[in-house]
Amino acid sequence: MKKNEEKTKHEIIEDIELDIPEDEIWTYQIPGLAAPHINREYKNAGIKRALLVIAIVIAVFLSIYFSVRAVSSETFEYKDLGNGTYEFFKFSNTVDTEEIDIDYCLNVRYLKEKESENHDDFYVFEKDESKPISAVREYCFNCDERIKIINIGKDVEVIDGKSFYSCWNLEAIFVDDANENYCDIDGVLYTKDLSKVICYPINHDEYLRQKYGYTIEPAQDSPEFAQYEKDVLTYVLPLETKIVGKLAFNYAEIKNIYLPDTLIEIQTLGFFKSTRLANVYSYIATPDDAYISLPNSLTRIESDAFSYDQDLTYMFIPKNVEYIGHHAFWDTVYDEDGELHGITEIFVELSEDDFHKKVTCGDQWRGKYDYRLFKKSVDVNYSAERKN
Amino acid sequence: MAKFVEKAKGLYKEIRTHWKEPAPGNYVPYKEYKDVIFAVGANYAGEKTIRTYIGFWAGCYLMMYHYKLPYLTYSIIGIINMPLGYIWTLIWWFVCDNLGFMQKKTERILYAIYFSLTAIGIAMIAINFTPMLNPTNSLVKYLNGLEGINCASAIKILGTHIFYNGYVGMRNIFWRKKLIPKYGRYKYSLYSDIVPKTIMVFLIGWLPFYKIPDVTTRVWVANLLFAIYNCYGFGNYLETCAENISPNPRERILVRTYPIKISHIFHSLIAIIIPAAIGAFRYEWADINVFRYLIPGVFLIFAVITVIYAPRIQERIPQPPLEKKVGIKFWDGLFGVLSNKYHWILTIVGLLDSLGNGMLAFTTILYLYTFRLSGLSYSLLVTLVAFTGTPPDFFTPYFIKRFSYKQVMIFFQLSRAIGYSLVILALVFCRDNVILCGTVCVIVLIFMEMTQTVPKSIDRDMAIRIRDYQMYISGERLESFAGIFGWFTGPITSFVSLIIPLLLLKFGFNSNWDVLFIDESRVNIVVIPILIDVIGFFLMTIPFLLWDYDAEKHRQVMAVLKRRAEVTEKQAIEEGDDISGSFTG
Repeated sequence: MKKNEEKTKHEIIEDIELDIPEDEIWTYQIPGLAAPHINREYKNAGIKRALLVIAIVIAVFLSIYFSVRAVSSETFEYKDLGNGTYEFFKFSNTVDTEEIDIDYCLNVRYLKEKESENHDDFYVFEKDESKPISAVREYCFNCDERIKIINIGKDVEVIDGKSFYSCWNLEAIFVDDANENYCDIDGVLYTKDLSKVICYPINHDEYLRQKYGYTIEPAQDSPEFAQYEKDVLTYVLPLETKIVGKLAFNYAEIKNIYLPDTLIEIQTLGFFKSTRLANVYSYIATPDDAYISLPNSLTRIESDAFSYDQDLTYMFIPKNVEYIGHHAFWDTVYDEDGELHGITEIFVELSEDDFHKKVTCGDQWRGKYDYRLFKKSVDVNYSAERKN
Repeated sequence: MAKFVEKAKGLYKEIRTHWKEPAPGNYVPYKEYKDVIFAVGANYAGEKTIRTYIGFWAGCYLMMYHYKLPYLTYSIIGIINMPLGYIWTLIWWFVCDNLGFMQKKTERILYAIYFSLTAIGIAMIAINFTPMLNPTNSLVKYLNGLEGINCASAIKILGTHIFYNGYVGMRNIFWRKKLIPKYGRYKYSLYSDIVPKTIMVFLIGWLPFYKIPDVTTRVWVANLLFAIYNCYGFGNYLETCAENISPNPRERILVRTYPIKISHIFHSLIAIIIPAAIGAFRYEWADINVFRYLIPGVFLIFAVITVIYAPRIQERIPQPPLEKKVGIKFWDGLFGVLSNKYHWILTIVGLLDSLGNGMLAFTTILYLYTFRLSGLSYSLLVTLVAFTGTPPDFFTPYFIKRFSYKQVMIFFQLSRAIGYSLVILALVFCRDNVILCGTVCVIVLIFMEMTQTVPKSIDRDMAIRIRDYQMYISGERLESFAGIFGWFTGPITSFVSLIIPLLLLKFGFNSNWDVLFIDESRVNIVVIPILIDVIGFFLMTIPFLLWDYDAEKHRQVMAVLKRRAEVTEKQAIEEGDDISGSFTG
């Protein structure tokens, strides 16, 4: 009984009525609670008001101060690596520049009115040549919408694959010839020995359009389109390339890609959202001897490598592939008007048994399409032969 | 079994008997329970739909997929609006806590201020300030350096803020005075706002401002568009009204537990249907037609049902007639809330809870980027997780009897701390094993959902009780003046809530959510903020140790409020005054 009482001690009790005299309704104090304070002056009200105002002003000032401090960003942020060189840590495009050099630490100097008469801009970048840059941090450039050209200096040794993430207008990355670690081929960033492609700038097609004299993309049914496709929408990786780096071709406006027959790895998000990518070819010596789909030498296809590339229609996994990352071909198939488009079936050179024994597959590596109310993975056609 | 049938029969008889007239000691007839289901259900479903899909915040799908504004820009706009916002807020509190009824002279002054603000705001938006600004000026340089903003657009953003506050302030006084005597303090704005709100919901999808190529222009135009959208409210007003449906706390909790809870089924259904319907669009979440047809269509249906059922439910707070209500002077309002110790305790709790401010919605990341869900499978999983919280909620009256508020809230914070710790472990150790990681997270989410609904219901009930207490000590509920506590915690919360966005920026999160497809970045973006949040949950148990406001004290508070209402109503009748707004219980 006692236990039951204990258990229900927080039970809500029925309403009560208090017989409070009419002249005490605004002052009646409930035992254990504070007394009401209604339409009466507070004790020391003046001092209390002053203290409250001071407290509020301080609180408001601090709120604004902390907030402003937190969103203010320097144009350039560098980190001393302790070996006489610096890591380019973060770039915020506070001056709307379209071109930037990554060789020495930069500082923005805003011009006075008189000075600016001789310049196009209201600022100049001042280089501190005692502070060479040797590394570019991941996400150093992030979602910049204005930068078009990046020039990499001779001392840069480390560039993360994610350094130029989502620079929507980036047309080209040029590397100083004296750099021993990196190089560029017509604005596309590679390691010096060309074994790895690091970054195909998102807006590289604009650079190519200008280079080949196009103002806009010709209509697909026009006679010029074939040449345009060859000049602007086709890219051939050099024979030396072994690795397509992380995010290397993400968002790239490419229709045809030629991979060398020596390529061994396509890293995470390598061709992520290259939504115009329709044809993957592999070639042995020149693009003229190309065969369709991934190269025979390939061993790894990492996560999201081809995600959202819905213009692709054929995918052949050669027998040397040992690893396919999760979601490697995610959303490469879709249903429109009851008909499947994109990669509707994946062709695998190995037999089913060999594939399961040899290849490590990540979750949901195949594309999925709407099937009744849910989604269904595309079929895998084992022991397939490569299409001619 | 026989006992159960007996009980069911008894319940049926009880409902039939008191369908139109409440039982003795109660205030709400069962017919009104039925109306609560439809009124609150439609209001809640409509409000949740637009809150989820339309909003000026980074996690809103419209922003994620169409406007694509830089993540930090939202914080910057907040800061631009912050200093003046403090001033408007003070006036707003004063007007709201007096329910719009002020002395004539005060009212005229406020109208003049608000009208001037509206005019100034429109002028700042309309004028192009770019030619007048010197780019070498240090303030101009600073503003030009902010993400997604330049000096000229900052002036327009400030103008938008001034216009918004002026226009909304005028409407606030006008409609409160006109509608509160008839509809009460909680649901009146539904009647003034429903038509313009519906028009704005349609316009948001149809106006193609997300196509503006220049990000700076896109930012200020979007800010203006959403400011106009926010001028008209469609909050969860009817649920608040229903929570105040009776002065009897037992009846309040019954309404909260059953009809209100059942009413949420509308939202549960729509939470399945909308994502499933989105899955049928060509570009799924990224399809603009979602915002042109689907969301406005769903909203329109619920808006109509809300308006039909809203008049049928009543708030029943024991209170004097409007003619006799306590007039709240500005300083009395401030001192009144500051003398409420329960506000202080909850403020400290809120401060500690702010440790997770600025983090991205973990569940959104889990469903969209780990599991890659869309369509019906998304709907079903979200609904499954959400539904698991419902059965425990039906036992809220039992938990209120069995445990104190203090015990429940301490358990709640600890369960969240443990749950999120498990999520961290899953994210760190499962890494690219996405299905295993996601499965563990979903199990933990279900655990947390099951353990959070009862504490949340009890907490909402306590919020009402605290307002009852405030009415006891100050003569009014002072719901708006209670915002002053946010000012004291502001320095810390504003500091903390900008630390996490900066951390996220460092880990790669900005305006492009695709970064969450990169495994290592996704883990960093999710784990670090959750870790900070977990620390907050553990610390939040401490302030609850000081809680001493129990059912017995609340019972006495209600008795005092009823007595005041009785006496003032009697006085009003004797003096021949109007007694609208009065409820004696």
